Amino acid sequence: MVEHHSIPLQTKKYNQWIIITEELKRICRESRVKNGVMYVISRHTTTGVTVNEALECLESDLHDMLERLIPEDYPYAHARILSSYGSTAGNPTGHLKSHLTGNHCVLSIIDGTISKGDAQEIYFCEFDGPASRTVTVTILGE
Amino acid sequence: MFIDMHVHPDFYEPISGEDKTLELRHESLNIHLNGTAPLEHIYNQMSCAGLDQLCLLATDYSTSHGRPVVSNEEVWHLVQQSQGRFMGFAGVDPFREDAEEVLRYAFKTLGLRGLKLNLSRLKLFPMDERLLPLYEICLEHNRPIIFHSGLSLEPDTQMRFSKPLEFEPVAQRYPELRICLAHFGWPWVQDTAAMMLKYRNVYTDTALLYFDSAREFYQRVFTHDLAISWIDRSLRHQIMFGSNNPRFEQIRMAKALEELGLRASTLELIKSENALVFLGEKEVKAW
Repeated sequence: MVEHHSIPLQTKKYNQWIIITEELKRICRESRVKNGVMYVISRHTTTGVTVNEALECLESDLHDMLERLIPEDYPYAHARILSSYGSTAGNPTGHLKSHLTGNHCVLSIIDGTISKGDAQEIYFCEFDGPASRTVTVTILGE
Repeated sequence: MFIDMHVHPDFYEPISGEDKTLELRHESLNIHLNGTAPLEHIYNQMSCAGLDQLCLLATDYSTSHGRPVVSNEEVWHLVQQSQGRFMGFAGVDPFREDAEEVLRYAFKTLGLRGLKLNLSRLKLFPMDERLLPLYEICLEHNRPIIFHSGLSLEPDTQMRFSKPLEFEPVAQRYPELRICLAHFGWPWVQDTAAMMLKYRNVYTDTALLYFDSAREFYQRVFTHDLAISWIDRSLRHQIMFGSNNPRFEQIRMAKALEELGLRASTLELIKSENALVFLGEKEVKAW
């Protein structure tokens, strides 16, 4: 059995980490699948989905790490007008941070609940906000 | 107070009902692959850029399109629900038989604050006789005009109609009419600087980001093509912040402006004071 769900998000900041664990738990509870896997997938190229511990110190370190690796002030080739869009592509840092973070995570569903460690939270990462975003949640199992 | 004087609301959700309307706007602005923007998103974007108010521009080429791209009524509708976060400028197709009536209605009944015209698209030189009655109405109502100036990326446009020096006869003939040569007239930025130096009723905006990142392009234009001292000492009363959003990036342009190294008092003028004078809300100070 396959189910598809979606989580709409209205991000508010240029870079923002949003915990979506509770929303995923709700989808899991309402799903007909009791044993299987849940794919949590961003529909965008300047966002990420990742799993980590929700401590403010770690969130700060993760943010700082990405800023060090991918600074705003750098001569990125992507900083130019895109004729197909007719607008400026000023978001190379968003694409690169997304590339490092990845667009998805996979979780096990066992006996109707998401199987994860106590420290694990699922984050949606905004790297080019504010924006209207959508996370697709695909559940595969029985 | 921080005002963005150059915003196109073509894809704002409350006025983006029908697919045909959106298709017209995509084609007319030559902006594609973007979705519609709920007002909540616009307010979030303003917050990230530190902006307090946006000036939304209506667009009217109805004699060629059959309807305005963004009507004055649609801009009014957005202004009404914005709780002071938006103001609006009228768009009037000068080829309309009722152009004068439409402009008067936009000022008197809808309360729009000025007129926006893209002569590159209309293929009219600034002193074309079709335009003069509209200038007279603006003077009569003490409303300014934003002219597109310099390169236009909209389809079916010609730059020759919007070169900054083409506006000299208007500035000269109507010294009481405040006009903005938008986009700093890029690439003719020195011509725009000359126009502002010579005519106090000429303004410009910072809605230019044609190459590179906002930081790189602002540095290039304002510290190489122009001297930053020209801005900071001589032209500081005639430049307004504008982003040309959604073609360009409001948040990064606002940040790039801050990073130019201008005096705090100059930044304050560019971010709000000059806009208030341009709009006729404040008296021109001697400078």
